[in-house]
Amino acid sequence: MSVPMTSSAATLDVLEVGRAAQVKALALDAVEADWLRAVGLVEGVAVTVLRRAAFGGPLHLRLSTGLELAVDRALAARVEVSP
Amino acid sequence: MSAEVALTVALVGRPNAGKSTLFNALTGGTVKVGNFPGITVEAVTGQTTLEDGRALRVVDLPGVYSLVGAGDPDSDEGHALRSLDALKGSPHVLAQVVDATQLAPALRLTKELLARGQPLLLIVTQHDLLVTQGSTLDVPGLSEALGVQVVAVSAKEPGLRVKLLHAIADVARLGPSAAVRTFDDAALAARVVRHDGGLKDRLRARTERLDAVLLHPLLGPLVFLGLMTVLFASVFFVAEPVSAAIDAGTRFLAQHLEATLGPGRLTSLLVDGVLGGAGTVLIFLPQIVVLTVVLELIEASGYLARCTFLVDRLLRFVGLGGRSFVPLLTAHACAVPAIQATRIIREPGQRLRTILVLPLMTCSARIPTYGLLIAAFFGARSAWFKSAAFVALYVGGILAAFGASLVLGSRVKRAGASKPLVLELPHYRRPQARVMARLAWRTASRFVKDVGSVIVVASVVLWTLLNVPSPGGGDVVVPEGSSEKVVAMHRSLAASVGRALEPLTQPAGFDWRINVGLIGSFGARELMVGTLGVIFGIEGEDAEAPLAERLRETKTASGAPAYGVPTALSLMVFFIIACQCMSTLAAVRRETRSWRWTGFVVAYTYGLAYGLAVLVFQLGSRLLA
Repeated sequence: MSVPMTSSAATLDVLEVGRAAQVKALALDAVEADWLRAVGLVEGVAVTVLRRAAFGGPLHLRLSTGLELAVDRALAARVEVSP
Repeated sequence: MSAEVALTVALVGRPNAGKSTLFNALTGGTVKVGNFPGITVEAVTGQTTLEDGRALRVVDLPGVYSLVGAGDPDSDEGHALRSLDALKGSPHVLAQVVDATQLAPALRLTKELLARGQPLLLIVTQHDLLVTQGSTLDVPGLSEALGVQVVAVSAKEPGLRVKLLHAIADVARLGPSAAVRTFDDAALAARVVRHDGGLKDRLRARTERLDAVLLHPLLGPLVFLGLMTVLFASVFFVAEPVSAAIDAGTRFLAQHLEATLGPGRLTSLLVDGVLGGAGTVLIFLPQIVVLTVVLELIEASGYLARCTFLVDRLLRFVGLGGRSFVPLLTAHACAVPAIQATRIIREPGQRLRTILVLPLMTCSARIPTYGLLIAAFFGARSAWFKSAAFVALYVGGILAAFGASLVLGSRVKRAGASKPLVLELPHYRRPQARVMARLAWRTASRFVKDVGSVIVVASVVLWTLLNVPSPGGGDVVVPEGSSEKVVAMHRSLAASVGRALEPLTQPAGFDWRINVGLIGSFGARELMVGTLGVIFGIEGEDAEAPLAERLRETKTASGAPAYGVPTALSLMVFFIIACQCMSTLAAVRRETRSWRWTGFVVAYTYGLAYGLAVLVFQLGSRLLA
C-alpha cells in the first residue's frame, strides 16, 4: 500500500534545522499514515526540525499547532515536505 | 463507596491531555499525574456523588490518539476501545478531555467519538494556559459546530468539581447528539481559537531553554548519565541516616524485650523471629521511598519523554526502543507496574522483548539484600565506595537486561510490522509537592504494611522451621561452644533442607544458611534479608550486633569464616538476575497471555543467575585468595 516517493520532493529527515516546511504527503502504509495523522502530523501542517539526536537518533519536531514530537529518522524520510 | 452506580463517566482523550488531573478533581483521588504520553497504564476507576445524591462512577482510560487503528488488543488503544464498548447498555457519558492548546489534533478523535453515537461531553482543559498565551476560545461556537456540550476549565480553578459534575449530569440527561455534524478539524480549530498575540508563551520559552541543555547533542547525554548516577547513588546517600536511626530503634527494642522477658522461647520468637526478620527489612524503607519519589519527579517534570529521545538509538541497538525506556526506568521501583507500562510500546515483538528483560532491572525489593551485603563485606570502605558499589549493581542489572535483549534478538518475534518512534514531547512542568508527598506516604505505608504482614508471617514460619528438629539431624556437627539454641537450629528441619542443596550451591559459595534464605525468598526477594535476619539472629550471641556484622563473623563448623567477598559478589550476581518474584511472574503471564513465556522467564533467569554466580565465586575465590 505504500505510495511511491517522488524523487524531486524533499523529505523531513533532510530538512535543515530551524527551517519551517509544510507536510505534503506521508509515504507510508495506510495504518501507519493514519496513526501519524491522529498524533497530529497531517498533510498541510507546518513543521520545523528543532534538533536531531546524536548517532542517527530521532528528530525533534515542532508543528504549527504547537505540538512537539520525537520522530524516528527513518520515518521522517517517508514524510514529504515542501518549503 | 458501595452505593449503586447511577451513571458512569469515562474520561477519554489524547495522552497527556490532563485526564488524570480531572479524575483527581472529580473523585478526590490520588491517581499519579504523569507528564509522559500514555502514562495511565490501565483504566483507573473512582466514585463520587452527583449533585442530586446519586453515585457517579468515574473511569480514567489510557490516553489514545485514535481508536480507529486499534488493531492490537493489548495496546492502550485496544484497552480503551474495549472499555468504551463495555459502557454501552448502562447510563454513561463519554467525556473527551481536550488540551486547549492542542485543539486541532484532538478534534480528529472527537470525530471518531461522535461516530460511536454515545453521549459525549467535551472538557477543554488548560484554559488558563491558553489565555496566558494570548488566545481566546469561542466555547459556544465550538459547541455549536460539534453539536455537543463543551465546558472550558483550568485544573486550579475553584469550583472545578461542581462545574464538571453539572456538565456531566446535563449531557446524561440530553443523551447523544441527534445529528452527526461534519467539520474539518483544522479549519474549525482555527476558527474557534482566536490568537490576539502580544503575550509571550512563557511555558514554551522555559521548555526551549531547558531543551537547549537537556537535549544538547553533547551535554544532553552527559546530564542524563549524571542524573541516573546521582539517582542510584542517592538511594544510598540520602537514605542512610534514616536507615541507621530505624536500625538503632529496632535494636533498642530487641534489647528492651530481652531485658523484660528474660531468655526463653517467646523472647527468641519475638527478638530473633519478628524483630530479626521484619525489623531488618524495615531499615530499607527510606531507600525505597527516595527511589520512588525521584522516579516520579523525572516523569512528572516531563524529563522522561526527553530520555526516550536521547536513548532511542541506543535501545534500538539492543533490540529495544525509546518507548521501552519508560518501563525499563519504572522497573527500578518495581517490575509489576513496569510490565503493565509496556502497553505503550506499539510494536508487539519489542513489547514482548521488553517484558522478558524487565525482571533484570534492579527493583527496590533488591535494595535490602544489596544494602546488607555491602554493609557486611565492604562496611569498612568509604561512603563513596559503598555508593559506587550500589551504582555498579544498578548498572549490572541494566547491562544484564541489554545483554538478554541482544541474545533474545530476532528469536522473539510477534506478528506486526516494525513501528518507528513517534512520541509527544510535552512542556516541562513543575511537579506538585502535594502529589509527591502523597506518593511518598503511600509508598512508605505500603512497605510498612508489607513488612508488618507478609514478612512478619514469613519470619515467624521460618523461625518455627528453624526450631523444629529434623529427623536424623542429631548427628550434625556444630561449631564448638555453641549455645543450645544454635545447636537446635543447626539440627532443624529448615537447616536440613538447606544442607541437602549444598552440593548444588557450594560451587556458587552458598551454604545451607543462604540456601534457606534463597528458598524463603523464592516468591518475593524482599524476604531474603528477613530470612537471614532470623537465622543469624538465632545464631548471634549478642542481640545488639547488626545483621551485617553477624554475617561477616559467621564461622563454618571448622571455625573458618563462612563467607568472604567472593560469596558476597556471587550472591549479588544471583540477585541481579534471578526472578525471585511471584508478582512479576503473574504480571508476565497477564501481559503475554502465555505460560510458556512465563516459564521461560523463570528458567532463563534462574539458569543464568546460577551459572554466573558459580563463575563469579570460582573466579573470585581464585583471584582474591
